[in-house]
Amino acid sequence: MTLLVKNLPFILQGIGMTLALALATLLISTVIAFILGILATLRFRWLRWLVKAYVELFRDIPLIVNIFFVFFVAPLFGMELSPFAAVTVGLSLWGSANGTEIVRAGFASVSRHQWQSAAALGLKPWEVYLFITGPQALRSILPPFVGLLTLLVQATSLGALVGVSEFFKVGQIIVERTTMMEGWNPAFTVYGAVLLIYFVICSALTWFGRWLERRLKNDQRRPASAGPLLVKPLTQLP
Amino acid sequence: MEFDLAYLMAQGPALMRGLWLTVQVSAISIVLSIVIGLMGAAVRVLKLPVLDKLVIGYVEFIRNTPLLAQLFFIFYGLPSIGLKLSLFWSGVLSLTLWAGAYQVENIRGGLETVAKGLREAAFSLGLTPWRFFRLIAAPMAIRVGLPSMLNTSISLLKNSSYLQAIGLAELTYVAIDRISMDFRTIEMFVAICVIYLALVLVLSVFANRLENRLNKPFRV
Repeated sequence: MTLLVKNLPFILQGIGMTLALALATLLISTVIAFILGILATLRFRWLRWLVKAYVELFRDIPLIVNIFFVFFVAPLFGMELSPFAAVTVGLSLWGSANGTEIVRAGFASVSRHQWQSAAALGLKPWEVYLFITGPQALRSILPPFVGLLTLLVQATSLGALVGVSEFFKVGQIIVERTTMMEGWNPAFTVYGAVLLIYFVICSALTWFGRWLERRLKNDQRRPASAGPLLVKPLTQLP
Repeated sequence: MEFDLAYLMAQGPALMRGLWLTVQVSAISIVLSIVIGLMGAAVRVLKLPVLDKLVIGYVEFIRNTPLLAQLFFIFYGLPSIGLKLSLFWSGVLSLTLWAGAYQVENIRGGLETVAKGLREAAFSLGLTPWRFFRLIAAPMAIRVGLPSMLNTSISLLKNSSYLQAIGLAELTYVAIDRISMDFRTIEMFVAICVIYLALVLVLSVFANRLENRLNKPFRV
């Protein structure tokens, strides 16, 4: 407990770094995921194939190898990445591969008739994506994305292995420092506390994801009885 | 900076030793995690009073904490309360506990599909809950839950690379170790990426065959 109080600013800094890493990664992953995910819904076989290759490659290689790869290989090509940047890139490759799959599946879950009706009404393809299939796909995309964020928060702990002082690294440093300076090994308490704090953060996110899922599901049930909700986006068009 | 195949050949034996350790740790952990999954799922589905809550807590805890932190807690934390495990078994324990939580959910998902009527029928025929679980529910549940169980197993295989952080000389550890000595970065990464992809591929092929085999009696 005294250990916790003494190191409080340090710990908060670590948590801040962890969240910064997770959010930066989420942002990049989301952008890539939406671009690739939508590309995969287009009717070009080679494009779909390329996206699939990207997704499979970065999902099948262990995340650690991914991060080490970016960390060690980028300098060979003259890019001096800071550990923070290397971890962000490594995690983003992995996160975007998973995100792409979520986005692709989300769009695939929207009925083909939506497309056909919209096209019949004379909407341009981008209008269909933006006003018709997009909002509907978003419903099935959002909850798994919160899940992805949870995984990303956990995965940021890998930053410790290349020297980003995020939350897990802070725990490691506290253990080492106490062992050296005070002569006792607090590994059990510190790593226990680290686990608990991660648990609180990620549980909150998981809970939020489940809440979102329930809410969006309820929304979906409404138009069936209320009828004209599907027409609404159309009336808003210029 | 050209690709040096001869170097890679020379490092072959070291990589193979790492690969062997990766395979060993993964195989043992996969088997044990499925055992945990079966027991946990049985507890959940049979709604055993206190154990039920314990399993829920266990699953939630594992799923909402990073594997790396779990690993460090087991390897560095437990010895200070007198539980000393070797490097290898610490790795097996943490991977098993991690994957076990997911397997509980996978198998439970399968068990939920076993119709309630079957259970009532089994009980009215005088089967004990345990025998019902072993003879009727589990075989059916495993068939349904198999794809997600294999996904978890594949994740476990990939996550065995976490063990390099505590210094177990598995595949990733060997590669990183060599890179810091010889700076043959590209060669090593290509080698381990290919090996990991091959392992995942082998496991998925095996998974497909197993799935086909189990579904044989049900094909129309």
